[in-house]
Amino acid sequence: MKVLKIILPLLVTLLAFVSCEQNADAPAPLQGTVKVTFSNKVKGTNLVLNTGSYINNTGETYSVKKFKYYISNVSVTNIDKAATEVESYHLIDQSNAASLSFSFTANAETYSHLNFIIGVDSLRNVSGAQTGALDPLNDMFWTWNSGYIMAKLEGTSPASAQVNNKIEYHIGGFSGPNNVLKKINITLPITAQMLNIRANKTSEIFIDADVDKWFSNNISFATEPVCTTPGALAKKIADNYMNMFTVTNVVNN
Amino acid sequence: MKLKITIYLFAFVLLSIVLLEACKKSDATDNTSKTTPLTFTIPAGWPQPATNIFASNPLTEEGFQLGRKLFYDGKLSKDGNFPCASCHQQFAAFATFDHDFSHGFNNAFTTRNAPGLFNLAWMPLLHWDGGINHIEVQPLAPIAAPNEMAETIENVLAKLRTDSNYPNLFKAAYGSTEINSQKMLKALAQFMGTMVSSNSKYDKVQRGEATFTTAEQSGYTFFKSKCEACHKEPLFTDNSFRNNGLAVNSFLNDFGRKRITNLSSDSLKFKVPSLRNVELTFPYMHDGRLYSMRDVLDHYSTNLITTQPTLDPLLVSRIPMTTTDKNNMVAFLRTLTDTVFTKNPRFKQP
Ligand code: HEC
Ligand code: HEC
Repeated sequence: MKVLKIILPLLVTLLAFVSCEQNADAPAPLQGTVKVTFSNKVKGTNLVLNTGSYINNTGETYSVKKFKYYISNVSVTNIDKAATEVESYHLIDQSNAASLSFSFTANAETYSHLNFIIGVDSLRNVSGAQTGALDPLNDMFWTWNSGYIMAKLEGTSPASAQVNNKIEYHIGGFSGPNNVLKKINITLPITAQMLNIRANKTSEIFIDADVDKWFSNNISFATEPVCTTPGALAKKIADNYMNMFTVTNVVNN
Repeated sequence: MKLKITIYLFAFVLLSIVLLEACKKSDATDNTSKTTPLTFTIPAGWPQPATNIFASNPLTEEGFQLGRKLFYDGKLSKDGNFPCASCHQQFAAFATFDHDFSHGFNNAFTTRNAPGLFNLAWMPLLHWDGGINHIEVQPLAPIAAPNEMAETIENVLAKLRTDSNYPNLFKAAYGSTEINSQKMLKALAQFMGTMVSSNSKYDKVQRGEATFTTAEQSGYTFFKSKCEACHKEPLFTDNSFRNNGLAVNSFLNDFGRKRITNLSSDSLKFKVPSLRNVELTFPYMHDGRLYSMRDVLDHYSTNLITTQPTLDPLLVSRIPMTTTDKNNMVAFLRTLTDTVFTKNPRFKQP
């Protein structure tokens, strides 16, 4: 009987370990946080919606009422490692300060590149009703020609002959010759330092997005004031705006 | 002694249960509301749908019933008068009965003919021009269109949230009273996507439960040789986009598929419509310009324009038909009417 007295408590202790074994992970790698912050600018000055007045490359004055774009499939990488954000869809919207930055978890490593797609990957364009940043409520989904508007700029310019001098660029198209999706890979040692993630710390990447770049290669509000369908003009503008991002700073903590 | 052992053993068993339960808990999801799963049955001999539209939208009785209520509810439109069902009527196989164009908000007309709604699970691209790529996002089009329901999704959701029934119906379907666009759209997709029409006389003949009359059989034989290439059995469409030789309507200037793809080679191509329930879905074609089945057959035999560059190669010599051929064809097309579907109580107004 003595034996039982000893064995039973032992069994119980063993059971406590065995029963929960499935949940006990291998020693978790140390993790920290990457925070990415976007600042929308026009040729170096902060973009101010509605009241700011700007001049494009063809000398036409304009102002901006709406400026938003999707950033998706975000990752930071180095030669042999990668930290990929899960469910990585962000709508950067100048009218919503909270939308201008986002964070995700990464293993404590050093990373040399920031990668993302401007727009929503083609799979999510064909996968039915989505939620969160991809909710059709965000006014970035075409109802008559299913698919996301990857980037949107609306405003006015005296050069535009549209009603109320409107300028309106809804850039979309995810398949075949109309595809405007742009993969961006930015090399990080901007200020001579890579992104360094340490356990339980947050390191930050700061990015400027220059609205002016949308109108490179002589996009004119007089001749091309509106783009609301996938096609040649949308592709031209996407080719332009893919150059709008500059990493201005990496802050390691 | 014996008692002691019993106590020990009892304590051991109890502890084991507690510990095992504790572990189970951490695995289980909270969302354990009791829903009733539904299975989507593919009729015998039919192909698998190209994509499984229910893959990320598990079918449940509660989801289906929520979708059904939404489909019939005027709340989805601006002034309450234009539920989906105002243009998609069950007795007309969910087309708009006897209308070339349907009526929408503020006395406006739609710019295309409302097609019947059935067997949508086999339809990879919706609308006449294939502009809609998933059944779940389709409702966004009529809800937002100023000449249809003229409402915003924000407003629809606000109305549903303050309704006395909907929060509970969403809870029954999804385990929480929270209402969002995704849940609403998925519920509508459950209702529409499970509307299957597969019980016409034609189907009964295929299953050996009925026989064609001589006229119907002759019509069927003719159909197989001249129409089948586009209106492919058993769905009576191959889901492709084609130009079947209709003149451009100068009011609408509707160039069909080209609007979506920007390709001139797609100019004037429209989705090949299913011919199931065709007797009920008149008037015909994307703009409802042909009133009767007889008019359609006259189109294919004589009126079809052969000069458009994108005309389908199968139709360059039209489809010559004698009066008898046409009578037989009409007889055959009538065998595609499925009253089991048009009277199915599951699809009625709840
Ligand atoms: C004002 C009339 C009207 C209303 C209201 C309406 N529809 Fe339609 N529906 C149409 C027309 C017209 C078309 C054809 C559109 C096109 O091809 O461009 C159509 C097409 C469709 C299709 C595609 C069918 C196919 O074969 O491609 C579906 C699915 C559909 N509607 C579902 C709905 C749902 C769900 C609602 C409610 C949220 C709704 N409709 C409300 C008129 C209407
Ligand atoms: C080359 C492909 C092709 C062939 C062959 C063809 N059709 Fe069609 N059919 C179409 C297309 C495309 C439409 C829709 C055109 C539009 O609305 O612009 C259509 C529409 C119809 C419609 C109208 C259905 C509705 O709901 O509006 C009927 C009825 C029809 N066809 C019957 C027939 C019959 C009967 C034959 C054989 C005698 C036939 N078709 C041969 C492509 C074809």
